[in-house]
Amino acid sequence: MNSLTTALARLLVFPGLLFAIPAAWFFLWVERKSVALMQGRIGPPFMQPFFDFIKLLGKTTPPRNGLGGLLMKAWPLIAVSSAAGAVGLLPVLPLSGGFEGDLILLLALLELPSMCIIAAGFSSRSIFGEIGSAREAVLSVAYNVVFLLAIVSIAASQHTFRLEGLAALQYSPLHLLGIAAILVCLPAKLHINPFSLPNAEQEIYSGPMTEYAGPELAMWELSHGLEWVAATGLVATLVAPHVTVWWLGVLLFAALSFGVVLLLSVVAAATARLQIDTTVRFYWQCTLIFAVLAISSALFMRFRL
Amino acid sequence: MSYKIPMGPYHPALEEPYKLDLICEGETVRDAKLHIGFNFRGIEHLAETRNYIQVIALMERVCGICSNIHTLTLCQAMEKLTGQTPPPRAQYIRVIMAELERLHSHVLWAGIAAKLMGFKTMFMTCFELREKVMDVLQAISGNRVNYSMNRIGGVNRDIDDPAALLIMIDVLEKEMVRKVIPIFTTSSTARSRCADIGVLTNAKAISLGVVGPVARASGVAQDLRRAAPYAAYAEMDFQVPVESAGDVRARLMVRALEIMESCNILRQALTKLPPGELNAGEGKLAFITGTATSRVEAPRGEVMYSVSWKEGSNKPARVHVRTPTFVNMPAIRSMVQGARLADTPLIQASIDPCYSCTDR
Repeated sequence: MNSLTTALARLLVFPGLLFAIPAAWFFLWVERKSVALMQGRIGPPFMQPFFDFIKLLGKTTPPRNGLGGLLMKAWPLIAVSSAAGAVGLLPVLPLSGGFEGDLILLLALLELPSMCIIAAGFSSRSIFGEIGSAREAVLSVAYNVVFLLAIVSIAASQHTFRLEGLAALQYSPLHLLGIAAILVCLPAKLHINPFSLPNAEQEIYSGPMTEYAGPELAMWELSHGLEWVAATGLVATLVAPHVTVWWLGVLLFAALSFGVVLLLSVVAAATARLQIDTTVRFYWQCTLIFAVLAISSALFMRFRL
Repeated sequence: MSYKIPMGPYHPALEEPYKLDLICEGETVRDAKLHIGFNFRGIEHLAETRNYIQVIALMERVCGICSNIHTLTLCQAMEKLTGQTPPPRAQYIRVIMAELERLHSHVLWAGIAAKLMGFKTMFMTCFELREKVMDVLQAISGNRVNYSMNRIGGVNRDIDDPAALLIMIDVLEKEMVRKVIPIFTTSSTARSRCADIGVLTNAKAISLGVVGPVARASGVAQDLRRAAPYAAYAEMDFQVPVESAGDVRARLMVRALEIMESCNILRQALTKLPPGELNAGEGKLAFITGTATSRVEAPRGEVMYSVSWKEGSNKPARVHVRTPTFVNMPAIRSMVQGARLADTPLIQASIDPCYSCTDR
């Protein structure tokens, strides 16, 4: 009973929905505002992502019949719930529970929104949606190899697939290498420059989202925000030093996530969008070497231990 | 399997409405079809209903970027029909306005190109700089878009303080050298988006008859300011930048170097600005029967006006305009064949299309 209450509290209160949704809006605002300031613009007011969400919720969308319409409604909901679940799994609080293998579940939940985007683009039957989805699929194959290798190598060096074990990890060259590899993958995961291919507005409007409007689009925006929280939170938990005081843990988590958002915004503001083949080459060439290094050092550490 | 992707008439990559139907296989463009005419306003017909004062104001509104060039060309053609010769000071002021407009147009284009690469920070930097060019234009003419500087036989307004403008030009040039040019030439993401895409070979450029920076980027060294000097260009000392690669990067480089040359010409013109009258005098003008043509080098290439008049009338019988985009446009088709879909917005923009000029 106690563990069930803890799990529910984590999923619904902190770091789950009650924290994650406002945090998602906040991070979306931080990203937009900081990019705007770097570009010499004023940027949106603080409440803008929230206003956008409410405004979109209030719109009516043209009815879509049949299975296609049903699927188009379902994808954003699946994306939101999986992203929220991923945030809920993050080991922010010390001794927050968790179970053996929750890392694998987290990785799966992090990947689901991007799967949903691919499916949504194809179910919308728009040519721009289909091209966007194809790009998202290629992109996800390219960066996921590195992303998974980085995380798996850190986990393998610790003989655990439990998130708490990773959060409590001491700094090591492998650990830092892994974090750097994950950071390189984040712009692609979050569709920001230089890897904003699937939603390259000057080429294919908003890609898979082109046909979406109203409440469904609001859900996509929310899932995008939650992805920001989950992805930056993952880095934050890996970077954060191990503390036993709960409020310090929360504070550290928030501050580090904020730092990662700022870092990604700087990268987004300072770069042009790369082409799909340059992107794929980048991930396969440079960062594969990166992850191979991580794996070999993980093996080395394993044998040494 | 090939499929058709419509780009336009309303599309985030286009400044103005026109349509490019792209026949694609995967991410590769096999062929393209161009449709124009979405911006047709019947200005050439309207010109036949306006008198010789009104027609200048009308033709200024053909384009929102090179508005001065249109009145300059029209006035030069009408000067041939009335036998008027603008005084030297007016010729110099015309050069200054034309070069400021070239600066304005090229910086604006650089901004658009940056936006199409997804480089919005660069877009903002360029547009901030464009504001400064517009400030200079406003300081001279009191206007930011339609300057209404040209009249038959001269210009409407004087440049009272050339020394103050020289300081503004220095600031502009410094900013261009410091911010815009390095980002396009040294930024690796920007370079990877521009090099070897949308190639137009020298032979193809000649056979398609392209003009302006597009021709100069394909190794065709033609510039009317040099080949057929008008206004006071014969007295200016300047280079005509030519690149041979023919890709988007070459077009970018040509425009970047032209920005520097424009600053150079502006400095010379402002320093040497001769004293004297601004125009050939007031009074009713008498036109002779006939057709006069005039050509100038607009920021996008050669603009030609052909003006026909019947003696005794105060309205033109026909005003025909040939704009550079009309000539450069067919080159888009051969540039995008074999290109990646992601590059097509940038390739079509690399000719610096102006469809409000083309459609009129």
